[in-house]
Parts: sequence; structure tokens; C-alpha cells
Amino acid sequence: MSDSSGFRRAQVAVMYLVLTTAIASGIAIYSSATTFTTLLRTATSGLFLPILLAMIVAFMLEPLVNLIENRGVHRTLAIFIIYLFFTAAVILLLLIIGPPNWRGMIQALKADVPRYISFAIVYLTGLLELAQQHFPFIAHYNLGDHLRNFSQALIGAILVQTPRSAMRIGSLLILVPLFSFFFLRDSRRIMRGLISLTPNRYFEMVLDIYAHVSWQLSHFIRGRIIEAIIVGLVVWAGLSLTDIRYAPILALVAGITNLVPYVGPIFGMLPGITIALVDLGVGPQFWWILCVYILIAQVIVDNMILIPILISKVSNLHPLWVIMAIIMGGKLYGILGMIIAVPIASIINIIILEIRQYRRTFNPYNRYFSSRGKML
Amino acid sequence: MNPNPFWQNIFRNQADQQTLAYFLNQIPIFSKLSRRELKFLEKIVHIRNFSADEMVFSAGDIGSGMYIIRSGQIQILSVDNNGKELEQAILEPGDFFGEVALTGTRPRTAGARATKASSLVGLFRSDILEATIRHPAPTAKILFGLNRVLADRLHQCSQQLELLQSTLTAPQEPNNE
Repeated sequence: MSDSSGFRRAQVAVMYLVLTTAIASGIAIYSSATTFTTLLRTATSGLFLPILLAMIVAFMLEPLVNLIENRGVHRTLAIFIIYLFFTAAVILLLLIIGPPNWRGMIQALKADVPRYISFAIVYLTGLLELAQQHFPFIAHYNLGDHLRNFSQALIGAILVQTPRSAMRIGSLLILVPLFSFFFLRDSRRIMRGLISLTPNRYFEMVLDIYAHVSWQLSHFIRGRIIEAIIVGLVVWAGLSLTDIRYAPILALVAGITNLVPYVGPIFGMLPGITIALVDLGVGPQFWWILCVYILIAQVIVDNMILIPILISKVSNLHPLWVIMAIIMGGKLYGILGMIIAVPIASIINIIILEIRQYRRTFNPYNRYFSSRGKML
Repeated sequence: MNPNPFWQNIFRNQADQQTLAYFLNQIPIFSKLSRRELKFLEKIVHIRNFSADEMVFSAGDIGSGMYIIRSGQIQILSVDNNGKELEQAILEPGDFFGEVALTGTRPRTAGARATKASSLVGLFRSDILEATIRHPAPTAKILFGLNRVLADRLHQCSQQLELLQSTLTAPQEPNNE
């Protein structure tokens, strides 16, 4: 009796020890994992933007490099030739046009942004008052204050961030060509190395799916970037015909926001329209600017010419997914996240679609079933 | 230090024979490739290692390329209607199989299993398609070599068919009389 109870006590002791160890090690692993992930996050936070930009540059330059490589030139040399060509083009452009007056432009913008925003506030308060006359129940909602706070925060951020972002741009100018050089030269080797890790059973399938996905992806990314550049150029050309200031910056904003479907172009045209309203007033020039933004850049150039040519229907995302992706991207990485969220969501969409397509086409049981799932 | 040239020579030869390029040059498909083209071929093939009794692929799988046996032994088998495996052939180092899937996506008609631990050199369609865009000239030569071997096989096949037809028709003649 006492023997068995002693045995039980030993059992309890062992249980106690094992459980304590398990809990302690669990906590230790959890805390070390969280510190590890935070360390990882801090270490890689500065790498996100340069790697992203370098990938985009690599995707854009890939066809050119292949073109030169086809003539029997070594790939590394081909990349150097492309780099040399682009550097020469930029230098030539600077020599012909002269360096753009960035400093002056930014100084002027610093002075002008509060003016534009205060105008927007006045305009919006006017609108709000008009609305309050018709719908009295929104009287307590003070939009002007919200906007004023937001604009003050924005201006403060711009003032603080300018020197820092100048340094970041400097580091980007070094890092992006470096990264994209290695992506261009070694991306195939890196991907081959990764694919060779797959087990024998799935190797052929993974290789095939990877080939499809990478083809779709390179087309999609190239198409999106070319689309953004052309839209930016069209907006620039259209705005240059008027007396509006900051046409290059507005064109840049329009081009970048064009990467986000549905929502992007609307936000891209807001600064241009505000500046046009403040500086030029409602007149023929204002209507022309509106026409450039909506009719020429969006409807004619983008929707009627570029999208049918450049972007395949495969990568179309449902608007609901677009909005969800924008919100999630904004939570993760701020404004940059909002811009790149939709392309990344489209990339995931392409991958899923390709895998489904592959499985459907090459399903061995496909022979026995019709498309409706009935036995043939 | 004055190394003996005799030993040096032997070591160099051995090292040379162990390279993938040397091995590929021994295969009839790639025998007419130059040194540079062999180097290029080395970059587009995949080396896959299989343990004994591991399936390389089964009948009905989606094939996307061919395998060349570098070492080991591969058993080609088909499955009959009762689900029983029938051995079709035993392949040794230097042989290749699965080349039909290289040109078009279709299910594998037979399965392949490694009977010993084997090292296979895989050449797959997606790599060849990419290589045709980036290096058309050497890829064309590789495909030409493949085409030559397949044409040889087809020729042999049709000869055998003729032989069979003649043996079939020969005994029928006395019956008709």
C-alpha cells in the first residue's frame, strides 16, 4: 500500500517536473522567438524598399539584358552595358536640359502646401455648411478641424523627413543598382537552388508551375510599371500645356498612384485639382486639367489603350479584394504599403490561379470526368 | 616541389571524367556538342538523387521532361488492367528515358523506379523553353541532337514493324492457297 502510494508520489513528482519544464521551455521559446522576430524585423526594415525597387528595376531591365545576351555576350557584361547606357542617357539628359531645380521646387512646395491645404479647408467648410443646411443632423461633425490637424501633421512630417529622406534617397541610389545587378545576374541560379530543394515527387510539378508563374509575373509587373510611366508622361504633357506649377511632381504622383487600381487614380488627381483650383481658379484651364486627368489619362490612354495591351485579364482582382488589400497594406507599411499592396495581392492571385489551372489541366482523373463532374 | 607529371596526368584525367560535362558528352544525344555548349547544357539540367525503391514518376503523372541516368539503375514498368506491375526494361547508366514528355505535356505512359540509389540528370521542358529565348543557338543544337536520336529510334521501330509485317504475311500465304 505504502509502496504504491510512494510510486504515485514519484509519478506526481515526475509529472510536476515534466510539466514545469514544458511550460518553462515553452515560455522561453516563445519569448526568444518574439525577440528573434523583432530583431529580424529591425534588421530587415531598411531593406524592404531597396529590395522592392531593385526587383522592379531587374524585372524592367531583364528583356534588354536578354536581348544583348542573345548576341553571344556574357550576361555580366550585358548588364554592365545596360547600366553604362542608362548612366550615359541620364548624364546626357542632365547636360541637355540642365539639372532640375529640386531644391527650389521643394522650398516652394513647403511654402505652398499650407496655402493649398488652407484653401481646401475653406472650400470644404463651405461645402459642409451647405450640407448642414440640408442635413442638420451632421452639424456636430467638424470636418475642417480634422483636416487642419491632419495637414499640420503632414507638414511637420515633411519638414522633419526631408533631410532624412534625402539621405535615404542617397543610400537607395547606391543599393538599388547593386541589388538589381545581382538579381539580374543570379536570379535564375537562386531560384534553381530553391526549386532543387523540393522533394523528387513534386519536383517536376513545382518546376512547371514556377515557369508559368514567373512568366505571368514578369509580364504583369512590366505591364504595370510601363502603364504607370506612360500615364505619368501623359499627365505631365497635358499639365505642361497649362500654367499650373509642379507639373513634374503632379505627374509623378499620378503615375505612382496609378499602380493602385480603381482607388489610386482618384487620389492621384486630388493634389493636381486642388492646385489648379487655388492657382488658376475655375476656368478653361481648370477644365482642361480635369479633362487631362480623367478623360485623357484614365479613360482613353489607360483603359482603352494600355490595359488591353499590357495587362492580361488573368490578373484582374475583384474590387473588394483591392480595397481589403489596400487597408491591410496601409496597416503594415503605411502609404508605401497601400501602393504595393494591390500588386502583391495580384501576384498572390496569379500564383493561386496558375496552380489551380495546372491542377485542373493535368488532373489524371480528368479523363474520366466531364467538366460538370459527371462520369463520361 | 616538382610533381610527377605521370600522377598529375592521371589525376587530371580522373577529375575531367568526373565532371558533368564529360558525362553528358558520352550520351549519344549530346555527343556532338562543343565544350562551350556542354557548359551551357550543364547550367540548364537538374541533378536529382533517388534512393533505392523510390519512384521517379508513375504512369499517369504529368511529365515535363526526360532523365538521363548518371549512376544507379532504373526500372521502367507499366501497370496492366488488374493493377499488376509489369517490368518493361532495366536501364543502366548512360541510358535516358521519358524523352516523349519533353516536347508536349502529356501523362507518362509508364512508371520509372530506382532499383538502386541513383543519380539522374533531368532535362525539363520549361528550362529548354527559357533557353530557346536566351541562347537559341546552343539550344537548337541540343534539340537537334535529341531529334537525331529519336529519329534513329523511329527508323529502327519502323524497320522492326516491317519485319513483323513480313513475318505475319508470310505464313498467311500458304493458308490462302
